[in-house]
Amino acid sequence: MSHWMFNCKKVSRRVSESMDRNLPLYQRMLIWMHLLMCKYCTRFRRQVMMLREFCPSHRLDENSLDPDVTLSPDACERIRQTLRSSSAITDLPV
Amino acid sequence: MSQITEEISVADPDLDPETWVDRYGDYLYRFAVARIKDQAVAEDLVQETFLAALRGRKSFKGRSSVKTWLSAILKHKIVDYLRKKYREQVTNDTDTITETVNGFFHKNGSWKIRPGKWNMDPSKIYEQREFMDTLFKCLAKLPDRQSKAFMLKEMEGYSTKEICNALEVSPTNSWVMLYRARMFLRRCLELFWFNKTKEENS
Repeated sequence: MSHWMFNCKKVSRRVSESMDRNLPLYQRMLIWMHLLMCKYCTRFRRQVMMLREFCPSHRLDENSLDPDVTLSPDACERIRQTLRSSSAITDLPV
Repeated sequence: MSQITEEISVADPDLDPETWVDRYGDYLYRFAVARIKDQAVAEDLVQETFLAALRGRKSFKGRSSVKTWLSAILKHKIVDYLRKKYREQVTNDTDTITETVNGFFHKNGSWKIRPGKWNMDPSKIYEQREFMDTLFKCLAKLPDRQSKAFMLKEMEGYSTKEICNALEVSPTNSWVMLYRARMFLRRCLELFWFNKTKEENS
């Protein structure tokens, strides 16, 4: 059985894993060496990184929320009423 | 949801639900509107968040603030809402992908279905509503737990530990789920967005 660094399936798995945790340095180096040799895994890596970029939350942080967007007074009252009646049912004091 | 409420235990004495709407209502609503773009749905999700928090209040033990706790509940609500919405849209969809991860590779581990070229400007793609619809429809075609793991990770910025708590899986399992999700989504976008736009432009 050859080393995983020569196996695109195993490399692609580690490329994905590297997006979720810090891989040991030697593993990162092996991935890097594989990517130098393999255009499809390079493409795979670029595309799954793009997939991350496409996701909306990466452009949404607390500072980007519009301060003018607020619950209407009616909505607030309706939610309070729902919470009160739900509290009464679950016997929790509100 | 129980995992969230059990995971976080109280430091903030502010657990009186009567104050939640005034203190956190607008923030949660803004957060939901920014993601869902539908004010009526956002209102419903904020209400559901407070109700879930009310039910889980006793088990909140305060390792984080009430605001963070409520935000975590809302994030789950948003993910569930989006999955349900797009799941309904793809129920009768004939565009399916049958490959499992093994199907993408030969037995020796080399690519059988090679990643194709994506020609586009990534900075402009976000502005295209149709693209986001395609992405969410692809997500809806994934098994529930894989799509949820992906959305929590990539859309809500959850750490591995938070995903493991939310889905009750080991770290290794969570990485495998995310790998499968990425493999599938990459292929799904290639087939139903990049190849289609290529055909339209040619």
